[in-house]
Amino acid sequence: MESLHPRVRLLWVLSTVIQASVLGVIAYLVDRFAVSLPQTVVVGGWVVLVLLGVAHAIAAHRIWRFDLQDDALFLLRGVVTRTDTSVPYVRVQHVDTTRGPVERAIGLASVVVYTAGTRGADITIPGLRPERATELREQLRDLANESEATDAV
Amino acid sequence: MNRLHPRSAVLSVARAALQGGFFGFFGGSVGTGMLGLPAFAVPLLGLLGALTFGGYALARYFRFRYELDGDTLTVESGVFARQSRQIPLGRVQNLDVEQNILNRLLGLAIVRFETAGGSATEATLDAVDEAEVKRLRNYVRTHDRDEAAESAAETAGAVSGTATSGRSAHADLPGVTGPTPAHTGDAQTANDFEDSASASDTEPRDQPDGSLLFAFDQRELLTYALVSVRPAAPVLTLASLPLGMDVVWAVLRFNATLVGASLNGPVIRWLASSPESTRLAVFAAISLVQFLLLALVVSVALTVIEYYGFRLTQADGDLRYERGLLRRYSGNIPLEKVQTVTIRENVLMRRFGYATLAVETAGYSGGNQQSTQGVAVPLAPREEVYELARDIEPFGDLDFDRPPKRARRRYLARFSLAAAGLTAVAYAVDSLVLETGYWWLAALLFLPVVPAAHFRWRHRGFDLDDSVLATRSGFWRRTTRIVPYYRLQTVFVTRSPFQRRRDLATVGADTASSSSLLGGVARVYDIDEDTAKELRDTLRDRLTAHVAGLRTGDRGDADA
Repeated sequence: MESLHPRVRLLWVLSTVIQASVLGVIAYLVDRFAVSLPQTVVVGGWVVLVLLGVAHAIAAHRIWRFDLQDDALFLLRGVVTRTDTSVPYVRVQHVDTTRGPVERAIGLASVVVYTAGTRGADITIPGLRPERATELREQLRDLANESEATDAV
Repeated sequence: MNRLHPRSAVLSVARAALQGGFFGFFGGSVGTGMLGLPAFAVPLLGLLGALTFGGYALARYFRFRYELDGDTLTVESGVFARQSRQIPLGRVQNLDVEQNILNRLLGLAIVRFETAGGSATEATLDAVDEAEVKRLRNYVRTHDRDEAAESAAETAGAVSGTATSGRSAHADLPGVTGPTPAHTGDAQTANDFEDSASASDTEPRDQPDGSLLFAFDQRELLTYALVSVRPAAPVLTLASLPLGMDVVWAVLRFNATLVGASLNGPVIRWLASSPESTRLAVFAAISLVQFLLLALVVSVALTVIEYYGFRLTQADGDLRYERGLLRRYSGNIPLEKVQTVTIRENVLMRRFGYATLAVETAGYSGGNQQSTQGVAVPLAPREEVYELARDIEPFGDLDFDRPPKRARRRYLARFSLAAAGLTAVAYAVDSLVLETGYWWLAALLFLPVVPAAHFRWRHRGFDLDDSVLATRSGFWRRTTRIVPYYRLQTVFVTRSPFQRRRDLATVGADTASSSSLLGGVARVYDIDEDTAKELRDTLRDRLTAHVAGLRTGDRGDADA
């Protein structure tokens, strides 16, 4: 079982900060142009959201695991509702590596695995070093090719 | 390359011109009102709009071409941004045909090709004539069978020329139109096979209608409409009540006279004048019953319109359905593309031993307008439904394992919490706003808690058959899903905090079916954590085993 790079916590915290700040800007605009909001509520809300985000990031990193098993990619995640997902290699349609702007800034990458299913048709493994992401993508591609079915649908 | 039928051009140009005309007219009216344009601008802009829109529709008609050739459907379209799309016929999941009233009068039909993936229908031919529909349908169907026959021929070790000769005879087909030449083409293909590959057992080739599996007569249709209550009907009825406000008022006034009150003037005044509460209750009860009856009538009418003349036939590897009173729908579902089979029974149906059968393919994308897509048999005796389900996807007798008893305690706790919450709300509303002192009536909600928990528990379960996973859930509308192991996509196990407390977990088996209604996921709710892990591993193992089995069965021999 492999866990995510510790810096992924920073990534998650940063995304929470960005989201909370967007909400803060909206609150500011509402305050400016519509209903007046007390400043303590806005600032307090921002702080609470960010703190929650930090707690969530730490817990999520502690729980997140993934593993390339014999027949399937296995993921374990979820802070509140704990989910484990098995993605059989036979069912992998294609694999992407992606790097968003925040990810690039802190030097991480994600791998996205696509299946033809309805729920969880795209499964993301975040918080990987770029080399590891590329390697994982190639591993998954090879595993998917080895176990190629007649029709992945 | 073929064009769509000329009559459809007339139709779409007329439609577009009308739209453009309205648009221009409306724009002109606004313009004269607000910008002070002269009055003659209104008809002028209307004409301009009609010409522009109509012209664009005409251009679109002339740019739209399609062709069936060999293994592919090619569609070229677009006036400004041009698009050329090729769809391998082997990837076509469904072929659906829709005819609205206007189309039926003109003898036209809209044909849709659905493949897996993508966010919309892959190709829509709007519209072609009925002979062309038949040709397209036959072409796609025989193509599928040729594929199968080809691999069979290869397996039998026949000369490799078979495949190509079968193909080339087939490639002549798109040039000819109408059912009769297509028929000869078919026969020729069949002959080719008999000549060169006697080993392949060619099935009878022309069965335009196939064997009838199921059809509604009027009485069955009405029964179905009555027992399959649509949850959306009351909402729809309520939403359309304002359209007949006069009638609604008349009925309400009549109800008022029934209870000996008069309803002159606004209802609010009558309610505010606080009549005896029994009268008010009777009045409300009568009105509610009337409303529910109306909703039932609406529900029945909708179902009858949707399923009028329902027929399900099977022609070699395909299920074919037809239905609809105003709009006729028909379509082909290749059996080999069926992902999951679902059997639904609501309380009424269970009481009378009926069930509904639905099949899902990966064809439809989310948000398809056909709400009841995939319904293969709307209503039939349960045994027949199971028999047909076994025809589609063979499975043995199902023996469902229920969740452990502590799951029932979980439901009990959950429903009690809900009842307590509602009672609290009732208390708050009553003490703050209404002040009737009857808030404790809400506590009656605790009465159904125990049976509700029991029934929810009783109707949940799963069974691991030799070749399928079967899951079951729901009391009011019990849904039994049959998922063949080789159709599984991902398997996931989830545990909410409440489930973790009782060491329970839910196992989800995802498939590629894309019905937005059913969600594509078969769920086994609230089983023991260890059982869940075991189930997950079993599903994974069987998926691998069955996919491997398929490959050695089909491809492996062909490769050898």
